[in-house]
Amino acid sequence: MSDTASLQLKANGPQPQINDKESKGLWADALKRIVKSKISLLGLIIVAVFLLVALFAPVIAPYDPISDSDLVKRLEAPSNDHIMGRDSQGRDVFSRIVYGARISVKIGVISVGFALILGVTLGALAGYYGKWLDGIIMRLMDILLAFPSVLLAIAITAVLGPELRNAMIAIGIVYTPHFARIVRSTVLSVKATEYIEAARAIGCSDLRIIMRHVLPNCIAPIIVQSTLSVGTAILDAAALSFLGLGAQPPDPEWGAMLSDGKSYLQKAPHVMLFPGVAIMFVVLGFNLLGDGLRDALDPRLKQ
Amino acid sequence: MKVKRLAAALFLVLAMMVNIVGCGGGDNAAKDAGGDKEKIFVFARSGDASGLDPINVTDGESLYVTQQIFDTLLEYADDSTDLQPGLATEWESAKDGKEWTLKLREGVKFHDGTPFNAEAVKFNFDRWRDEKHPNHQGDFSYYTYMFGGFPGIIQDVAAVDEYTVKFVLTQPQAPFLANLAMATFGISSPEAVKQHGEDYFKNPVGTGPFKFVKWEKDQQVVVEKNAAYWGEKAKVDKIVFRTIPDNSARLMELQSGTIDGMIGLNPDDVETIKNDANLQLLMRPSMNVGYLAMNTEKDFLKEQKIRQAINHAVNKQALIDAFYAGLAKPAKNPMPPSLWGYNDEVKGYEYDPAKAKALLAEAGYPDGFETTLWAMPVARPYMPQPKEIAQAIQQDLAKVGITTKIVTYDWQTYIEKGENAEHDLYLFGWTGDNGDPDNFLYVLLDKSNTVKGSAGNVAFYKNDRVSSLLVDAQKESDQSKRDKLYKDAQVLINEDAPWVPLVHSTPPIAAKKSISGWLPHATGTECFVGVDKAE
Repeated sequence: MSDTASLQLKANGPQPQINDKESKGLWADALKRIVKSKISLLGLIIVAVFLLVALFAPVIAPYDPISDSDLVKRLEAPSNDHIMGRDSQGRDVFSRIVYGARISVKIGVISVGFALILGVTLGALAGYYGKWLDGIIMRLMDILLAFPSVLLAIAITAVLGPELRNAMIAIGIVYTPHFARIVRSTVLSVKATEYIEAARAIGCSDLRIIMRHVLPNCIAPIIVQSTLSVGTAILDAAALSFLGLGAQPPDPEWGAMLSDGKSYLQKAPHVMLFPGVAIMFVVLGFNLLGDGLRDALDPRLKQ
Repeated sequence: MKVKRLAAALFLVLAMMVNIVGCGGGDNAAKDAGGDKEKIFVFARSGDASGLDPINVTDGESLYVTQQIFDTLLEYADDSTDLQPGLATEWESAKDGKEWTLKLREGVKFHDGTPFNAEAVKFNFDRWRDEKHPNHQGDFSYYTYMFGGFPGIIQDVAAVDEYTVKFVLTQPQAPFLANLAMATFGISSPEAVKQHGEDYFKNPVGTGPFKFVKWEKDQQVVVEKNAAYWGEKAKVDKIVFRTIPDNSARLMELQSGTIDGMIGLNPDDVETIKNDANLQLLMRPSMNVGYLAMNTEKDFLKEQKIRQAINHAVNKQALIDAFYAGLAKPAKNPMPPSLWGYNDEVKGYEYDPAKAKALLAEAGYPDGFETTLWAMPVARPYMPQPKEIAQAIQQDLAKVGITTKIVTYDWQTYIEKGENAEHDLYLFGWTGDNGDPDNFLYVLLDKSNTVKGSAGNVAFYKNDRVSSLLVDAQKESDQSKRDKLYKDAQVLINEDAPWVPLVHSTPPIAAKKSISGWLPHATGTECFVGVDKAE
């Protein structure tokens, strides 16, 4: 684990370079590695496109995703005007998918952000203070991990009520243990090092030690975990919406669109096909990028 | 690792899609239930029965099964709600309709061998109406709907002799005989009720053309032919009632041949059935109403003008064209035009967003307001795709400035919350049980049915004038006078606009070509005694 300690040193800038001369610092190196690997570059591109689509949704979408409905033309097949056709309410499927990207970004950021904050806090507390606090927190995390994640999310949304916000909270709770575990293990190994002892000797508070000297060591694994989690969070949220527990109509959430389209699978497959493909690509993108980041940030592969 | 993750992502998305296409095939009940010689009719619907004691259920899914096992004193004709003899062969009234004497069919036995006689009829009615009866186990809600509480208007039931039974009423009730023919008033074997007590709903015993065999919750209910039936005997040996929640999945099973018939067809699939040489389309005669109830106790909806504005804002014809494949008529009254007493003079509210906006402005809300729109989670005969309809209505209302949030719960919760008046705008509907206007107007709009927790009147509409008309119509025995009373009530209801009456639908049904003798009944359920299957 001293690997991560040295990583931290470099990450913080002006330290003398220890290893190879070409190194331009952690992030520049990581980016270089990602671009070099075709498969992770593909992931990066997919994620970038996804984020751009979400950002510029009003510019890209030719129609309003909700109010531009025309019941007379419902289930129309793809055409020049509506490249992905119309759905069961006569709305433009393409515009809905574009706006759906915004919802997916929101889901990814909020639910993973929730898990991140909660998981890092709990993991750091458990690892740093140890003893009974460690016991309580980590057993609680074990309990959460023992449930199949979607099942647990279904149970939580069933209690909180079917709403997108609650689905995001549920997914956040489900993903918390992963972050807690990563942080705790890193904290445990760093806690024993001499520079922590030194920090304590000069009178640093616990909070300062955790924030300034311990946590920065966890940044790389947390980034990898976050990236991978965003993909699965979008998938889980889509599953919840598909079951009617997440986004509610008329929100253009992809899982909800899949669910709406399933009645027309035979008559108008395009209604279900495109949101399905959208989910697949975004999850794929985040998974490829996450794997690429893992490889890029893992110093053991550096030589 | 990468490959694994990629595969997992692909798999999950595909699994979601495949799930919908392929599910439901787990249980080949039809095949393993018997050999080649047995004729089995496999029937599928979206939900399982909630119980098999007919008096303690109100849903069509349960009554569909009990209808096969039980007989009622009177019965409806196959193609109308005209009354014909059932377990009773003759009837006559005395004392201005306050007394009814029924002659019972002789030589009929329950499936457990118990003889059917006047004592058995008395036992059933006493169990239903007397809260102190040792076998009064359940909520018996249909009894209270039709006869007004416990014991309600049935003051006494007496066994005059072995095959004669006399009912004494506290007041005349015009639809009394029609009520007795409702599937919910099926006659149970007294011995079986006593023997099973609280578990009777799992062990039903009647006199009907089919005997109960087994019930596997959420999977199937099986009944077999009653060879000793008093009437024309069943043509198939067994009926299997399967539960397949998803409309499309159910249709696919029909196409692949694992089921013989189904209800709950998406109107969009009507064309599919017509174009399939192996399938036939049946139509259930229309005797229902799908409506949007407005909770008249809530802030904005208290205002008559706002309720009228909402009526003008909804484009019913567009809903029918899009979601009923044309198999429905726009509604303007709370009862269907197929019933006598329907008031065709009532104009209703035509689709006119400008008028709606003007009414909103008059009411003091020129910019509209925000409210909730409740949508049923399940397909109903009068509303095959409630969520889609809710979204379309949401758009209609948005055009006049009313912002709505769609709310939905599981079916049981949805009904309970509605009965508790927790909603604002509430999609709902009703299929008539006995062909009497009372069964629509009194049950759905009388002020006495606004008791929170068991309200049938989910608009919580209370109008004393309407109520006195409806109660008078119950006591009146002259049909032309009743007709007038109901027509007057509809005029007042239209003015007050507690609902947006949406549609009267003709629910489509699909079956294999090899099935014959299936006569869909307007009441929503029918006996399968005449159903046959060609090999």
